Amino acid sequence: MAESAQILTLPAREFRLQPNGDRPKRILIVDAAVACLAKQGLKKTSVEEIAASAGVSRATLYRIFPGGREAVLTAVVETELARFFSRLAVAMGSAESMEEVLVAGIHHGGTQLLDHPALQTMMVTDPEIIISVINFEQLDHTIATAATFAEPFFTRWLEPNASRRAAEFAVRVMVSHLIDRDQIVDLTSEASVRTLVRGFVLPGVEALKDQE
Amino acid sequence: MSTKEEKREAILQATYGCLAASGLSATSLDDVAQAAGVSRATLYRYFPGGRDDLVSAVVTWEYRRFFIRLYNAVKECETIEQVIETGLVVAHQAITDHEVLQMILRGEPGVLEPTLVAEAGPTREQIALFLTPYLEREELRDGCDIDHARQFLARMVLSYISAPGQWNFDDPEEVRRLVRSEFLGGILPEPTSLTMRQI
Repeated sequence: MAESAQILTLPAREFRLQPNGDRPKRILIVDAAVACLAKQGLKKTSVEEIAASAGVSRATLYRIFPGGREAVLTAVVETELARFFSRLAVAMGSAESMEEVLVAGIHHGGTQLLDHPALQTMMVTDPEIIISVINFEQLDHTIATAATFAEPFFTRWLEPNASRRAAEFAVRVMVSHLIDRDQIVDLTSEASVRTLVRGFVLPGVEALKDQE
Repeated sequence: MSTKEEKREAILQATYGCLAASGLSATSLDDVAQAAGVSRATLYRYFPGGRDDLVSAVVTWEYRRFFIRLYNAVKECETIEQVIETGLVVAHQAITDHEVLQMILRGEPGVLEPTLVAEAGPTREQIALFLTPYLEREELRDGCDIDHARQFLARMVLSYISAPGQWNFDDPEEVRRLVRSEFLGGILPEPTSLTMRQI
């Protein structure tokens, strides 16, 4: 838990080059919007609140984001996805074995999503938005996108075709536990994910490899 | 003489017929009342939330019927491999051919979501329960926990039913490879030891 908490509290702003006062207003606005979403969900978050929370005027917000609320929200999604995938890449890229890649990906991916303050709030306030990315055609699309990201991390141990399948398999296992939680597997516990990986995921990947 | 439950069933059946015939947006409460041979007042007594209530009840009803049909298609299978392979192929075909489902997916996919989320856990438990005797008949890998195994398999079945990914479910050989690797790789002994046993 301590380890996952550490990953989650490493905001992108720690890597900023400017002193705090000079942070570009664009980033201030995006981060303020994330905080608003975490506090009250999507429907209640207005341009006025985002601007107030960022400490800028409404006019400044519209100068930076001429598209208004929609444009800010698009930037939020893109920023949060970039943060999500870059943290996950750090975790998966430092793995020294295929077991570690699987554990890192499923545990860190799952923990980031389960512990994300804005996602957690929106699961309650705007569940239809979250749910819409995990059903039927959208689920296929979501799995394919995540598998495309994860695939290169398997190529140290697997042929390209098996890498692709292994990545999709791991994403599928993670998503299943995200949308339907049980008493057996806790994605936020590395030990629990390791048991899952050793028991079912790694042997499945090894069997995939033998088929190629 | 019909019980409340039978009447409810008849209304759902009639609603399903209307959806199949004219689509979701073109189906009104009056259409359903007429097809079911009941008054609007009766419809509201059974489904107080009106049209939305009725549509979501039909989705849940057909969702459960889908898994009953799936159960009937696989109940004669003998091994865990067969039952999963057959189940995946049948479910994939049934979803592709399901005209009402495909119509809803094209028109208003949001209608399905509450049911899919609410039913995910209970359906997984049902599938896990159904798979248990098949697992009990197998010699499992050393250290494989049968309860964890059946839950894992049930998750994988549900995942592949809703999203086939890059696997081709029209090719039985590919489905066999999928089931032997991702599904059963950690559950059954390795193929080599299986061959040794058979010799």
